Amino acid sequence: MRRYAVALVALIVVAAAGVAAWLYQLQKGLIVTNMRNPFTWGLYIATWAFYVGTAAGGLVVSSAIYLFRVEKLKPIAPVASTTAFVFVIAAMLMILPDLGRPDRILNIILHPQFKSMLVWDFIVLSTYAVLSATYTIILVRPNWAKRKGLPEDKIEEIKRNSERWARILAPISLPFAILIHTVTAWVLATQLSRPWWYGGLLAPMFIAAALTTGPTVVILASLIVHGFKDELRETYRFLAKISAASAAVMLFLYYNDFVVRAWWSKGEEYEALRMVFTDYISIHLGEVLLVLAGLVVLAKYYNSLSGLVTGSLLVNIGVFLHRYLLVPPAYNLIPFRLTVVSGAESYEWAYPIALGEIRGTLTDPGPVFVNYWPYVPSPIEITITIGAFALISAILLILLKILPLKKEGA
Amino acid sequence: MPRYGMVIDLSRCIGCRSCAVACKIVNSQPPGTWWQRVETVGAKEHQTAVGEYPNFSEVYLPVPCMHCENAPCVRVCPVNATFKREDGLVLIDFERCIGCRYCLTACPYGVRQFNWQDHVASFRQVFTKFGFDSDWFVVEDYKYGYPFIHKTKDGRIVYMKTRPRGVVEKCTFCVQFVDQGQVPACVAACPSNARVFGDLEDPNSQISRIVSERQVFRLLEHLGTEPKVFYIPPMKKAERGQVIYSQKLE
Repeated sequence: MRRYAVALVALIVVAAAGVAAWLYQLQKGLIVTNMRNPFTWGLYIATWAFYVGTAAGGLVVSSAIYLFRVEKLKPIAPVASTTAFVFVIAAMLMILPDLGRPDRILNIILHPQFKSMLVWDFIVLSTYAVLSATYTIILVRPNWAKRKGLPEDKIEEIKRNSERWARILAPISLPFAILIHTVTAWVLATQLSRPWWYGGLLAPMFIAAALTTGPTVVILASLIVHGFKDELRETYRFLAKISAASAAVMLFLYYNDFVVRAWWSKGEEYEALRMVFTDYISIHLGEVLLVLAGLVVLAKYYNSLSGLVTGSLLVNIGVFLHRYLLVPPAYNLIPFRLTVVSGAESYEWAYPIALGEIRGTLTDPGPVFVNYWPYVPSPIEITITIGAFALISAILLILLKILPLKKEGA
Repeated sequence: MPRYGMVIDLSRCIGCRSCAVACKIVNSQPPGTWWQRVETVGAKEHQTAVGEYPNFSEVYLPVPCMHCENAPCVRVCPVNATFKREDGLVLIDFERCIGCRYCLTACPYGVRQFNWQDHVASFRQVFTKFGFDSDWFVVEDYKYGYPFIHKTKDGRIVYMKTRPRGVVEKCTFCVQFVDQGQVPACVAACPSNARVFGDLEDPNSQISRIVSERQVFRLLEHLGTEPKVFYIPPMKKAERGQVIYSQKLE
């Protein structure tokens, strides 16, 4: 109890810092971030994609129980759908600081333009939020009734109802769980001018990443609620195996794409890959090694509490780095390129883009037009992102505490 | 209904960047924002010649917004703030834009510019940075640019002198002048007459004749954006008159 209170207070303090940073950003404009005209999406969008992935995992787990009759997942179903709800809210929350005009956010409802993938993403994300909230309410109703001390026959009836509704919702939720990450991938994958994203592989890769982090978040949340209990060993083992297998699939898809890009050794697709292995090699090594390490730990040490926690944290940090790496090779490969032939030699030349800000001083001017932007998240961006993470962690903790997610008396 | 387009003759362009400056002044662009860029193709450093001594070349490539027929920015805009008007101009509704910058991601030409900070604040900041009194501009109550708000027929604000913070802006083909029957500022300002602006639908217009009679090309044709800015390729150096580079003055 004491530990819970301390954790909650700490999270709220960090969240307050994040809110303060956001207010500062609202006042000054997005100039306080390190994003500029050539590099327009950064940490916020990467975090958004990461949360969409973690959200997708939750309902996959809970709907699998009723669709594929995975009975061993049943005790943690309410926890799973709660994480789904919290993280889809987190994803939508991360969009807010990225907007230049968050006060006009309602325009997306008032004047939707249905060719834009962002509108579809908004639609599936909000539907998913409603679905996961409904699912959670349905699943916790029997426990709620028990907590209220309703008579036995009444509880039985509520239980039957809950079961029936969960069975109806499961086949609707699963496609939406897949869709939210698919449409999020399509936001990026449809951009012909960004060879790092363009193509049909991004969506499957996003799903694999979602099934890597989703189950581990469910494991962590359920460890908080239920603890490491003997009767849940099988459940944890199952989730850990799903996560490890998906991590392997994700790495396979990733490197499959790399081989295709690398083989021709020329052109924009290759240039994007080259950037990953030169400028962003440390992030790339980080993502691969962490996901690999997490994979091994989850596949081997699912039987111990420390194994589960370590493995889950490793894959989550790894996939987060993977998400972060979505951005730099996409932007720093300026799409407006011309091949310049001089003599027998030829080279690719990127047309510089106006930065949007005057840097430097009169005697030591900074660049005005650049064809490469060494983006590193600014302190404000980091504070807002961590603050948002603390806020949703606090919400998750509170929900895990007040919702009757366990069988009463169990 | 006209369909406006532009032709830029690269062998006439002298790389003076008057178009970029006129554009910046007329459209009241804040510091660091350029709707029009003129770069030397292939230059490793800004504004330098390309090649090895003595075989230098300088081909200048002015890049305004292409006002694409199949504009990626219009497709990705979630709120229809960027739209293509009936006459083919791709415009931005400054009251509608939510500042998501998806269009900056989608545009392959890099012409879109975001208002990262407050319009007035950005001027003030630059003046202090470069050693002027901080309120110089504001006290004088003067800022360069076409002073009036310009709306389309359906009442959408597509030009205003002080753009709100957090919205996207870009070249409008000077919609405020085009709607009054005039040409864009870059066309009027070009000292070597390298630019022609006009109606691509009208077969007798100067631009239609150039596009059909001369050899023209468009930028990033392979992306299928169908730009409405056409370029006449630069002539060979010999035909442009010879420049003799030598270490001795003759």
